[in-house]
Amino acid sequence: MHDRRKIIRNVLFLAIVLQAFVLMIPLFYMLSTSFKLPSEVFDLPIRWIPEQLHFENYIQPLQEKPFLRWMFNSAFVATIVTILNVLTSALAGYSFAKFTYPGRDLLFGFILATFMIPLEAMIVPLFVLVKDLGWLNSYIGLIIPAGGSAFGIFMMRQHMIAMPDELMEAARIDGASEFRIFWNVVLPISQSALVSLAIFAFMWNWNSFLYPLLVASQDAYRTLPLGLASFESAYSTNYPQLMAVSFLSMLPVLILFFVLQNRFIESMALSGIKG
Amino acid sequence: MHFTWNYRTTTNLWGFLFALPAALLFVVFAAYPILQTFYFSFTEYNLAQPPQFIGLENYQTILTTPIFLDSVGFTFKYAVFTYIPTLILALILALALNSRIPLRGTLRMVNFIPVVISWVIVAVIWKLLFHLQGLINVALSQIGITPFNWLLERESAQWAIIIPSIWKETGFYMVIFLAGLQNIPGVYYEASMIDGASAWQRFRYITVPMLRPTIVLSIVVAIINGLKIFIPPFVMTQGGPAGATRVMALIIYQTAFAFNRMGRASAMAVVLFIIILILTFTQTRLYGTKTE
Repeated sequence: MHDRRKIIRNVLFLAIVLQAFVLMIPLFYMLSTSFKLPSEVFDLPIRWIPEQLHFENYIQPLQEKPFLRWMFNSAFVATIVTILNVLTSALAGYSFAKFTYPGRDLLFGFILATFMIPLEAMIVPLFVLVKDLGWLNSYIGLIIPAGGSAFGIFMMRQHMIAMPDELMEAARIDGASEFRIFWNVVLPISQSALVSLAIFAFMWNWNSFLYPLLVASQDAYRTLPLGLASFESAYSTNYPQLMAVSFLSMLPVLILFFVLQNRFIESMALSGIKG
Repeated sequence: MHFTWNYRTTTNLWGFLFALPAALLFVVFAAYPILQTFYFSFTEYNLAQPPQFIGLENYQTILTTPIFLDSVGFTFKYAVFTYIPTLILALILALALNSRIPLRGTLRMVNFIPVVISWVIVAVIWKLLFHLQGLINVALSQIGITPFNWLLERESAQWAIIIPSIWKETGFYMVIFLAGLQNIPGVYYEASMIDGASAWQRFRYITVPMLRPTIVLSIVVAIINGLKIFIPPFVMTQGGPAGATRVMALIIYQTAFAFNRMGRASAMAVVLFIIILILTFTQTRLYGTKTE
């Protein structure tokens, strides 16, 4: 009886290690292809470690296409949008959690309702609006419309409802201004929620595709996913270069993930529970 | 603590001001565009000229031509065939990686890697995998299946969109289920062990009922995510072959920006919006309007 259980446990363990291994095969394939010559890509039997590593696959596309600019665009836009998301969400979440004013619940309900409006359902007027504002192919066009996050507001409100009112009251009696209370009392004790939201927003925006696709048609304002997609359609025969560039593109988020993995997974879990 | 009426009013005015930046963004970049989508859907509009009111004509067109209905069909097929396997796999993985096994942390992390990779990269990698001489055909030829061009045949092209989606999304739902499992109080299991319940009984009578809300929520979230899918067909097939992988978001995008029919695209968007609205409503009914 005991032995049988032990065997089952070992088989299960092996199965799940095998599953993890199989799951990673596409990424091994990508990495391996990125070091090959175009003529070697489909050689049989498959050579997982190429005889000679062709690093030029990583260098050539960077010289021919503005990949560094695209990477900068992604990093810049995602960073600013993340800061805006965290700031507007913290402010609004605090407002909905700790103040009473006429129309508060209506406003909160209205913002929650936008939760369910998919971007996919409003691309036409959004494009027209951004165009009319003169924001096509500009950083402001990539950043401002993405500055609010319904999910962020919801998450912050949930977090801040649990904060004791006495903290703010004490600061008020001491004569602190409302904004100072928010900045020096509320924000510091919300740190963990703020970090979770920041990670979530950054990943989301780093990988964002449809909205930038509407706004940025010029190379100079493309973000990395857009650049990669345009590179893919133009160079789809040069798989090694395509794979090299893909690997470079996923590196920043992957590094961030390895450094902050627990936080990442935590913030995803939150998004699911509360979304 | 007793404040004067004036003081409280000032405080609450500040509270309102705190909500203002977010509220403005939502009015301008969400509420206004969605209202305009409805308005445009009743017009003929090509960006060059102002919208011309044409009543229900766009709706008549899209609901009577097979192109749009086919895309609705494939979108639902995609959602069902992607998310049923995804959720089942995610649940099995969550159960396995919630038990005390060696390498638990590493295995969780590995399963989460596809979630953090951008969809464009996933689509590009899988396009190579599905290549006529790519890894998948190589593997299949080992078991006697003749290599074929996955992306050029209707049925296989659809699977070439569905399979990478399962690969990418399972880790996300696994984490959600893990969070759900960890919220089940350990005392329930301890008590049942004392009563001599078997592993199956513990699963059947504690885990499943306690995890039910998480599962129900995940199903609805998954279906809604499925209906919004855009990147894999956009990158891998452009909706082809012969429209076999043209999902709703893609046909909306193409109608608007390739064929410059903004009004018709808006009518399609309204249909997508209404479907998602109904599902979201179902979600709140199933899950209860729980905001705490």
